[in-house]
Amino acid sequence: MECAFDAQNLISISLMKIQSSRTQRGGIKLHKNLLVTYVLRNARQFYVSKNLSQTQRTHQYEDVAAVRERQDYFELPGSLTELADDFYCNFTGVESDTWHCGAHQHNGQPAEVAHQDASACAMLSPSDADLMVSEACWSCADKSPWELPIPNAQANQKTVLDLDTHVVTTVTNGYFHSDCCAPSKQLQGAQCYAKKRKVDTSYHIVDPEFYLPDFGPVPCKRMRTDDELHSDSDQLDSTNISNLISVLGSGGLSEFVSWQQTDLEQIFAAQTICLKHTLLTGSGWTRAIEAF
Amino acid sequence: MAGPGGDMQWCFSQVKGAIDDDVAEADIISTVEFNHTGELLATGDKGGRVVIFQQEIENKNLPQFRSEYNVYSTFQSHEPEFDYLKSLEIEEKINKIRWLPQKNAAQFLLSTNDKTIKLWKISERDKRPDGYNLKEEDGRYKDPNTITSLRVPVLIPMDLMVEASPRRVFANAHTYHINSISVNSDEETYLSADDLRINLWNLEITDRSFNIVDIKPANMEELTEVITAAEFHPHQCNTFVYSSSKGTIRLCDMRASALCDKQSKLFEEPEDPSNRSFFSEIISSISDVKFSHNGRYMMTRDYLSVKIWDLNMENRPVETYQVHEYLRSKLCSLYENDCIFDKFECCWNGNDSVVMTGSYNNFFRMFDRGQRRDVTLEASRENSKPMQVLKPRKVCAGGKRKKDEISVDSLDFNKKILHTAWHPQDNIIAVATTNNLYIFQDKVN
Repeated sequence: MECAFDAQNLISISLMKIQSSRTQRGGIKLHKNLLVTYVLRNARQFYVSKNLSQTQRTHQYEDVAAVRERQDYFELPGSLTELADDFYCNFTGVESDTWHCGAHQHNGQPAEVAHQDASACAMLSPSDADLMVSEACWSCADKSPWELPIPNAQANQKTVLDLDTHVVTTVTNGYFHSDCCAPSKQLQGAQCYAKKRKVDTSYHIVDPEFYLPDFGPVPCKRMRTDDELHSDSDQLDSTNISNLISVLGSGGLSEFVSWQQTDLEQIFAAQTICLKHTLLTGSGWTRAIEAF
Repeated sequence: MAGPGGDMQWCFSQVKGAIDDDVAEADIISTVEFNHTGELLATGDKGGRVVIFQQEIENKNLPQFRSEYNVYSTFQSHEPEFDYLKSLEIEEKINKIRWLPQKNAAQFLLSTNDKTIKLWKISERDKRPDGYNLKEEDGRYKDPNTITSLRVPVLIPMDLMVEASPRRVFANAHTYHINSISVNSDEETYLSADDLRINLWNLEITDRSFNIVDIKPANMEELTEVITAAEFHPHQCNTFVYSSSKGTIRLCDMRASALCDKQSKLFEEPEDPSNRSFFSEIISSISDVKFSHNGRYMMTRDYLSVKIWDLNMENRPVETYQVHEYLRSKLCSLYENDCIFDKFECCWNGNDSVVMTGSYNNFFRMFDRGQRRDVTLEASRENSKPMQVLKPRKVCAGGKRKKDEISVDSLDFNKKILHTAWHPQDNIIAVATTNNLYIFQDKVN
């Protein structure tokens, strides 16, 4: 029984399980999804702590203990909100205050916990600051990249999963940086990550057209062809954004499924799926899941 | 278990179900249960059907007796439903069957799907009235003016007919999926448990139930565990237990308060930190809990092991049996193919000396508590000659595979035995593979 055992793979598998559970006969199984979110949490904790320690070995400006402590923000209960809401949507629509076709609305994020992703900013040269269009990246503007504290995932970090190539990317405040290889690369992921960071800063430059739920819709994007996807499956550039799936939102859950235009009617008919309409404006979006 | 000195030797007795490998989903067996005398054996399937087998008992005292179970009754218990309000389909799969103790000539059982519990009466009819003079042959009533005398009809024998009729329907009490039902020893009440709540019913009253456990948090963001199984104590009508997805068991006393959210006892074994993995939470989730017949112990099944708990000791089980420890290194693959979510059941034998549970590759395991021995047996058509003795099987976890051993990588994870049942008095067991029901008996029996 061979399996590509790495945290990224587990994350993508788990999210797909959650996704497929929505269409299972008999409704969402609370028990199974609860267990899947535990795996998701464990995998993400491992993945983030692995990457953080990699970053620290490279940059050495963080206190490991502080990092680990703040990683505790990845609490399972928060991540269950969307599942619970969706379950409520199915079973207790009357009871749930947050029932909104399965979508959990982002809570307001406390300003004091908004930190820029240190590793992302650290990779930017000062001149790149001009390209920071995201107004949420306030801490970058205030501080030099080297002084930035560790990321607080609840504030502004999203893990993005491409369902087609299984590429996992971390999106932080409008910046995204590829931190994954194709699943076949497995444990080399950490090395690839470091290597990409140094070599190709274009990953960290925000694409003004890149859609992030917090920052508004994105205009039409070019669809990547299959050839393009396969040829550089272990690299993400802005043109691949259209295929990205935002998987792990910051803070609470805001799960949605975005389908191609033709499936819209089917989606609207399905009350258990909440569609963020802003996503649909970009024809480049193929499949998108923002799980939690 | 094979060997001299009165040890059990299990022999094939019967197999029920379709032979072909192409399994219809509706035929997948989802529950198996003997009644209190063992004379009746009920199975439920994914298609909502209940099939009841009856044991032939005429030749029970003969030395070559082979208990034979034949179909007694078949009926459609649940149908698929659609909840229009929530746009949800409700599966007709029978999750559990529980027999009521027999009080008169009829038999009663409770069957449940995800949402609705039904009480079925199974009764025999072997006579019919004959000799009415009020009706014509075709059933039309005669003109009363033509009737000059009254004739009392006479009961005449007829071919045995077994009728199943729904006597009660207990509906609309569960928001989440029902996983357990358990009849109380008072024979008047029963409980039903879903993921977050347990309700207490009176068997006569269908329009109301009492909620006795509610673990749903005010904020669902704080949900960390669900109820996975629940059972009443076999003798104490005020006591029940429920297990959780976190590997804990709570024993509750209904005399303490109306809402039993605060347990009387909490049974939990600390996790071994050296075994910590991504899947620790999944494999510690309890899939079944069963009291021993004497009421002193309870048994729990999680993904890899069976644990026996003394009701007087909460901090750890008194016995732990590894069912298929060789799967611990395969958890990732089992997670990918969803096998890690399989819910295995477990059962006690009549005198609580042996416990049994299922595994993969159509293997099932028995653990003899007294003799500290265990055996792995297989339910397969290849070993299905009448009275053929089952040969113990062995799984090779690693290293050199001996002859007759099967390697872990050769196990068929689509062939799983989730449901097993042990006759309450005799050494007769019912083992359900995907769509077949195997009946084995002890050779000595």
